Amino acid sequence: MNTDAPIIEIQNLSRRYGKLDAVNGLSLNVSAGKCYGFFGRNGAGKTTTIRCLLNLLRPDSGTVRVFGLDPRTDEVAVKSRLAYVPDQVAFYPWMTVSETLEYLASFRKHWNGDIEADLIKRFQLDPKQKASHLSKGQRTQLALIGAICPEPELLVLDEPTSGLDPIVRREFIETVIGAYQSGDPGRRTVFVSTHLISEFEGLIDEFTIIEHGRELLTMEADAARDRFRKIRAQFSEIPKLDLSGALSVKQSGRGMEILANGNSEQLLAELKAHVPEELRCEALSLEEIFVATDILKQLKA
Amino acid sequence: MLLQIDFKSGKPVYLQLVDQIRYAAASGGLRAGEPLPSIRPLAEELRVNRNTIAKAYTELESQGVIETIPGKGCFLKESNSPFTKSARAKILTKEIDEAVVAAHHLQVDREAFLALVKERLDSFERKVKEKSNND
Repeated sequence: MNTDAPIIEIQNLSRRYGKLDAVNGLSLNVSAGKCYGFFGRNGAGKTTTIRCLLNLLRPDSGTVRVFGLDPRTDEVAVKSRLAYVPDQVAFYPWMTVSETLEYLASFRKHWNGDIEADLIKRFQLDPKQKASHLSKGQRTQLALIGAICPEPELLVLDEPTSGLDPIVRREFIETVIGAYQSGDPGRRTVFVSTHLISEFEGLIDEFTIIEHGRELLTMEADAARDRFRKIRAQFSEIPKLDLSGALSVKQSGRGMEILANGNSEQLLAELKAHVPEELRCEALSLEEIFVATDILKQLKA
Repeated sequence: MLLQIDFKSGKPVYLQLVDQIRYAAASGGLRAGEPLPSIRPLAEELRVNRNTIAKAYTELESQGVIETIPGKGCFLKESNSPFTKSARAKILTKEIDEAVVAAHHLQVDREAFLALVKERLDSFERKVKEKSNND
């Protein structure tokens, strides 16, 4: 098996709904073993993209490859190697937790019963409880068990933690890291689409921000945190400054907040030359970068 | 040993872990022969990508800070290697710099600052002596 081949390869994907371009020329690659974040505002095109990966939607143009295969022509081959947790999980309401898992297992060639028992215990689910009596958090947990037990090579998560309480959200992420990722570290790939970025911050290796169906930014998480900086400076009197290279500049009284995109050294030098009372520089978290890309977008336009 | 990731430091996560574990080794938070937390539970606890933890441990191993004993885990090696002393000096320099800047903001002059440092060192030594007399 060629371990260099991307697990997900999207090239110039476009998909329209009537006159609306839901996805418009999107390209991205996900390598094996990575946790890939797919970030974007509501309506940016995330779910449409994921539906194309799963052959729930056909692209209008461009190519989608999962495990090097076309989900359209090799649907079963693709789906047998991945698991999907959508944001609206649905089960047959009369089935119990055990019955639901038995049902899901029946579609799979491989199912790890030890992980199933372990996770049911960890989430404190009652195997005899009917699906209709489960809370939203519990239904998500059940879906996650159903996704991890077949030990798939790819886990596709679409807004998996929205609407869940903070404790359940944390447990979800811990489970993805522990029960899923640790099972076969180089070969377990996660593709997560979310706007709860701060939660997934530690998990993400690389990400793409999508806006109006187009890629706005693709970067490795560490590289992004290195590039994007927030500089806070305070002066006894605000001097004339050349901050033309900054991403954005906000002034409040004698204080300034400057966002830098790769040129923080230059901006710091300019500020230091005017002897500020206080000068602090910190990286932006992925969530802050996401918020700041609104500015990036205006620059690209 | 308490490990904490700061996503706002701009530093790659795995390097933060490498630094913090080296700090723990240099400051006695982690002792020679003591086991490091296993990769999976540590990844879960910090909510960090499992491969990032693995990368940090690999780096520490290549730096000779830790060693992996198959079947048993990762352990801190004997901490007599030279960089431990320079690591300590580097860390202390950072702390001293912060005190120097604070003194500047508070308008405490050089003589007063040095007198205060000496006084605090004397006080600290007294306390250590008292403690060892009482033990």
